Order: sequence, then C-alpha cells, then structure tokens
Amino acid sequence: MSCDFLVVQRYDKIVLAEVKRERLLDPASITSLGEALIAECDRTAKISLVIDVTEVGYLSSAMIGKLVAVHKAAKISKGRVAIAGLKPTLLQMFKITQLDKLFQFAPDAQSVILEYKRKPL
Amino acid sequence: MSTKALNIKAGEPPSTPPTVFERTWPSRIDLKQEIMDEVVELLISKGWVVEDDRAWLYLCFDEVVVNAMLHGNEGDPRLEVTLTIRLDALRWVVTVADQGDGFTETAIPDQSQPESLMLEHGRGIRIMQEWLDELTYYRGGSLAWLTRRRADAIPPSV
Repeated sequence: MSCDFLVVQRYDKIVLAEVKRERLLDPASITSLGEALIAECDRTAKISLVIDVTEVGYLSSAMIGKLVAVHKAAKISKGRVAIAGLKPTLLQMFKITQLDKLFQFAPDAQSVILEYKRKPL
Repeated sequence: MSTKALNIKAGEPPSTPPTVFERTWPSRIDLKQEIMDEVVELLISKGWVVEDDRAWLYLCFDEVVVNAMLHGNEGDPRLEVTLTIRLDALRWVVTVADQGDGFTETAIPDQSQPESLMLEHGRGIRIMQEWLDELTYYRGGSLAWLTRRRADAIPPSV
C-alpha cells in the first residue's frame, strides 16, 4: 500500500518511516498512512519500526487509534515500534490514554535506530 | 488511570454566556477541515486560546465535529451541524450540535479498563476531558459543550 506522504528507508529489519505531513486529521490520510505502516509490519518479520513524526503538528484521536493498530501489526510480526520526534503536546495526548506504555518514544529517529542496531531482535 | 465520568444531560444547555459566532454546515466530512480551520483561527486570533494550544483545539474539534456528522447525523448531508462560540470575561464555550438522537455512555469504551489500551477507538473524549475545563453533552448527547478559560482573561485580584 502506498502513501504519498510517507518516506520509507529500510536497513534490513530496521524500517524508518518518515511522515511528511503536518496534519494527520483527514480520514483518507489516516487510512492511507495506517495501511502503509501495517504493510511494512506484514512484510518484515521481527520488524524494528521507527515512525518519524517530526513534521507532524496536529493529529486526531483517530490517528492515535491507527497507531495502536500499527503496534498490533508489529507485535504479530514479533517486532517493535518507536515513535520519534513527537511534539510535547502530542506526547501528552498519548500519555493521557496511557499509550506511553505501548510505544517507545524517542527525541529523534537516529537515536533509536542506533539503539535498534545495538540491540537487534 | 483516573477517568472522568461522561456528563450527558437530557435538557437544553445554559443560555449564557452569550453567543458571538454561529454557523451551520451540512454533514459533509469533506467540510470538516474548513470548519475546524475557521473556528480555530477565530479563537486564536482573538487571543482566547494561545497558539501553543492549537493542536489541542484541532483534536477537540475533530472529535466533536466528526461525531456530530458521522454518528449524530449518520453521515446524511441533508442534516446539519451547528457550531457556536460563546464568550464571557473568563471563558469561551464552543458548542457543536447535530440533529440526531444523542447517545449513552455505554457507547464509549471504558478507559479505566486495561483492555481498552489496545482499542483503536474511543480515546477522543478522554483526551478532550484532560484539556478542557468542562465537557458536557446536552440534548441527550446531540449537543457537545466545550469550555475552557480564556487565555486573555484577567484573573481576579486577591
């Protein structure tokens, strides 16, 4: 599934997915992004997925829910997911609903990629 | 995790504070962004909400407008959503009304339950409750009342 605002780079089982959009509010974008990320989880066993949302300024609760679906897909692949570059306000939204228990958060993508390289699955 | 009970009342909302903006749109989801942009820009340009809270506004309005259009009005473009902004010296109020029959609290997942963590839906109200000073539903759920203190309100002297 393609998503025209998602840039994917693959380093073996480490997949960096950069979201190149400021707003994740409309249903079509949310569906497209979710499907693309889930497809990455489906195609890569033991995926180490890094979702870089540095450019994201606004998201809806539907987008947060879609990321939960991505997490589920990663778990099915016996993988892991990190969200990098999440703005403080948006991180607070994840914490309110305890999703900080589900996801790893990192200030930037490179730091978590290095960690994933040091500790492969 | 502490959860706040969802406040759903059968009657009409209060008559105050006075309305400063009111507009009606058909229940077309393609209009959602236009609606949100107009209201968010108004609240921030007037100084009633600070720029740093823009993301909270978008999340809140996305939640209530989508709920009104898709659940309240069942996606029927012949039905309308009406949005108002009310204002007094201390707070702003945004109301979003649909023409549906409302809803019950049982329709909302219980966020206090551990299994709710893996649900893909049902977080919006909980997140809104955290930022807003008050979230109440009137008319059995077909009118959402969102209020928060004005960013430019002058606190009372002590």
